[in-house]
Amino acid sequence: MTTRPSPRDLEPWSVVSVRGLSRHYPGVAALDGVDLELSANRIYGLLGRNGAGKTTLLQILLGQRFADAGEVRLFGRRPYEDDATLQRVCLVRESQTYPDHFAVRHVLKAASMLYPFWDGDLADQLLKDFDLPPRRSMKKLSRGMLSAVGVVVGLASRAELTLFDEPYLGLDAYARQLFYDRLLADFTERPRTVVLSTHLIDEVATLIEHVVLLHQGRVLIDSDTESLLDSAALVTGPEDVVERFAADRRVLHRDDLGRVRRATVTGRMGRPGRAEAVALGLAVEPVPLQQLVVRSTGAAGAAPPRAASTDTPVELGASTGQQP
Amino acid sequence: MNRPLAVARIQLVAWPTAIGWPLGILAIAFAVNLLVFAAIAGEPADATTGGQASIYVVFFVTYLQSVSQVFPFLSGLSVTRRAYFAGTALLVLAQSVLFALLLLLLLGVEIASGGWGLGMDFFGIGYLRQENVVLQLAVYTVPFLAMGFLGMFLGVVFRRWGTNGMFALALLVLAVLGAVVALVTWRQAWPTVGRWFVDTPPLAMVAGWPLVLAVLLAALAYLGLRRTEP
Repeated sequence: MTTRPSPRDLEPWSVVSVRGLSRHYPGVAALDGVDLELSANRIYGLLGRNGAGKTTLLQILLGQRFADAGEVRLFGRRPYEDDATLQRVCLVRESQTYPDHFAVRHVLKAASMLYPFWDGDLADQLLKDFDLPPRRSMKKLSRGMLSAVGVVVGLASRAELTLFDEPYLGLDAYARQLFYDRLLADFTERPRTVVLSTHLIDEVATLIEHVVLLHQGRVLIDSDTESLLDSAALVTGPEDVVERFAADRRVLHRDDLGRVRRATVTGRMGRPGRAEAVALGLAVEPVPLQQLVVRSTGAAGAAPPRAASTDTPVELGASTGQQP
Repeated sequence: MNRPLAVARIQLVAWPTAIGWPLGILAIAFAVNLLVFAAIAGEPADATTGGQASIYVVFFVTYLQSVSQVFPFLSGLSVTRRAYFAGTALLVLAQSVLFALLLLLLLGVEIASGGWGLGMDFFGIGYLRQENVVLQLAVYTVPFLAMGFLGMFLGVVFRRWGTNGMFALALLVLAVLGAVVALVTWRQAWPTVGRWFVDTPPLAMVAGWPLVLAVLLAALAYLGLRRTEP
């Protein structure tokens, strides 16, 4: 991440390869120099607050939106207007448009004609699992049912790259668990590259193998989940001891309960770091993924002015992501 | 499956809307006309009616809606703009010819039955009548093409530039027409214009120029679509 390769160096073996991607809307940079490599057959979590740029990024990957600057490759090829590449990709959007006169079965019929690996049996099974009436008009579906149709399309498409952009809106806890279970089962059977863009981080914490955190259009964290969680810890103890321990580390957040301080610490928190904390008499706990993401986003705060910040784009990502 | 072909077929998946509406509305317009003619039976012989235009209007609306609803839907299913356009244009072509054949068939019935027994010219109106069957087919087909691509074109303008785009386009059309009228008046060229309308063969008027218009609209729709964010 220290040197930014030119577009020529895009890695041909990556499923998704993104370099210097920027997109500005009036008054706001939705994406601001995003670099990303996603490799085959993993489940990625694309995290970030509302407006962090997740949807814009996913739509640019599909060639639905246009970037102001930067390069995108899917399977080593430019996706824009390339049917051969795009039919290997399925993006499930929360705000997908459906023709007024289409019923559920029409949507599935359409998808079956467009995705070469479409699995009709799986789609039928999922319809039953999610209690979807195939003859019901899309206009008459509840918010949750609409989301369920998207989930069915995404899973049954068996596309080599499947992107879910907040697919759970209106789905109850039971239906969401069903989705996660089905996704994992299908993934185990036929590995593919999955990107889950979601706010419900705790629900997918065990599912996602790699975390990409977007914040104000930049990549804040790009790390596999395990080493990300290993790189941080909740350290609890007397205020002065905690601060002594944290002096040469990065503190994402502090909570005080009387004299007791609890700090979310990252940087050099591998086994030796933990041992050091324990030796000081501090309590060390793992940080739940959701909390780590929230604290990292909070610590990043508002982005510095664009012009002044060009040489430190992924400072935190480097410190958390590359810690062994 | 071939992507453009799939795009065309998907729009026929819910066929009652694609085929049923135009035919249904034509049937209703026909029935209403038939009733009116029956009510005034025997009065003016060989009266004509514009009821046939209804099917062309429905055709226009169908493809306007295709761009506003089917295009974003299919984009969401990984279809490129090119494949969407090719498939939909194919559908416009096929449906135009099919509907024109149907109109031709009904015209045959109309002639054979002496205007449905009431002297009503529903399908063979005025200058649209051609003696040659092939020319008659062309006269029926081309307006469908023009209406279909007009629908697509306006759909693209709306998708890409929104309400402002539609107003700007209306303004542009008005400005151009106004300028033409002013120019013709200033040059005192109205007789020439009138003569042009008289001199242009009816076939060119109802098939030739609309075909040029259809091709132009199709090209503009495609160019606009290329950079549309669905």
